[in-house]
Order: sequence, then C-alpha cells, then structure tokens
Amino acid sequence: MYGLLKGLAPADVERTLALGSRIALSSGDELFPLGAEAECLYLISRGQVNLTLPMRVRDRETDVLVEERTAGQTVGWSALIPPHRFTLRATAPVETEVVALSREVLEQFFTAHPDAGYMVTLNLAAVIGQRLQLFQAMWLREVARMVELRAA
Amino acid sequence: MEMLLMGVCVAVFGMAIACAAFGAAVRPARGAAAAAAEMKAEPIKTVAPAKFFINQVSVPTSNGHVSVPIEALLLQLERHVRLEQAAAESFLAQPTSTLLHSKTVSPFLN
Repeated sequence: MYGLLKGLAPADVERTLALGSRIALSSGDELFPLGAEAECLYLISRGQVNLTLPMRVRDRETDVLVEERTAGQTVGWSALIPPHRFTLRATAPVETEVVALSREVLEQFFTAHPDAGYMVTLNLAAVIGQRLQLFQAMWLREVARMVELRAA
Repeated sequence: MEMLLMGVCVAVFGMAIACAAFGAAVRPARGAAAAAAEMKAEPIKTVAPAKFFINQVSVPTSNGHVSVPIEALLLQLERHVRLEQAAAESFLAQPTSTLLHSKTVSPFLN
C-alpha cells in the first residue's frame, strides 16, 4: 500500500497506478539529481531510495545522507510543488522499483476526479509536514548543542 | 646554651635551603633558550605506519585532532544522521522537552 494513495477508493488506486510507469533501479542507480526539473513523483514499490545533499568533507565533495525512504513511501514531491525542482539527490542503495507519476498526467486525473485529488493532496501534505517537523526538531537539537558549546 | 646554638644552626641551614630554592625559581630564562635550541637540534620523529592487524590507524594531527579515514568519517556521519532522525522522530511521537534534547550515542557527540 502506498502512503500517498491512502484513503482512496480501490478503483481510484488502480486508476492512479495505471497512470504511472514502473522503473527498475539497480544498486547505486540515480533516480534524480539535485536541481533537476521535477516532472515526476515516485512511489517506492520495493527496495529503498536514499535522499542526499552534497557536502564538502576534507576538500572532497560527497553526498551526505539526509533521508531514507522505503517501500510504500513517496519521493520527489517537488513534482507537485512549485518551482518543480528537486532539492535533493535520490539514489537506490539496493535493487529498487518505483512507480513514476508525471505531474501533467496527475493534474489531469485530479481535475477529472477531485475526490481522489483531495485525498492525494492531504497525503502529500502529511509527507511534507513530516519532513518539516522532523527537520525542525533536528535543527533545534543542533542549535541547543551549539549554544551548549559556546557557553562551555 | 647548647640548645640555643643548635637552634641557630638549624635556622641558618633552613634559611640557606630556602634561598637556594628561591634562586632556582626566579632564575632568568637563560636555560629556556638553551633548552629550545637543544629541542630544535633533535631529529624530527615521524610516525611509522602501523601494519599490525590493521591497515589504517588514526594518527593525531598537528592540531591535536585525530584523523579518521574519510570513508570511516562518512559512515560516522550517516550513523549520526540516522540517530538524530530517530531522536527527532521520538520527539514527534511524544513531544516533550526531555525527548527533544535526548542524547544519542553518535560518535560526533561523544
């Protein structure tokens, strides 16, 4: 079951999935690069997707893990949120399969089936909200440590 | 009388020791420069690569930090992110100040 399609009628789930195309990724494959135009969002059918950001470590630019998404979860929601640019890089650390849903096709579907569009939008808001709350907490923990270090 | 003479002798001896100690303590840094010159003259010792059981070792750098191989550092960083996320998720599941600032076993924080 995909989190993004939670609450949809079974027929709408089938219709939505029928709009997508399945993509198989081998270990180490890139799903999307940082900064690319976000045309599709992806539902993870199996495997795992790592979301990373570049960071300089000892004069070497490397990708640092930001989030790990597993089967049933969604990545690439920038496809539905302006300015439609990926703000992270996505790679598959293991054999992975995703369902790619293009923005254009999804928007047409939501226009024709507003109930489904509403449910998907609510689920998408939950995904975005979870990211926001998680990083808000992580940021505050980091600030607290910085203050502790400065005060020491 | 004998006791008095003995007391005077002890007092003089004590005074001599105190003067010697004071002189040594306030002696100008003449010896320091000499010691520095001696230290400069010593050959620079290099850290021999350890080849006993492990291929790479942590060697203290000039600033006192321990250099960790970059691959190990990146693994530590990944572990740190996972632990921090887990701690943040615990806070989100049950938002309390204690959980928000709970400690993790991250190598970056210990």
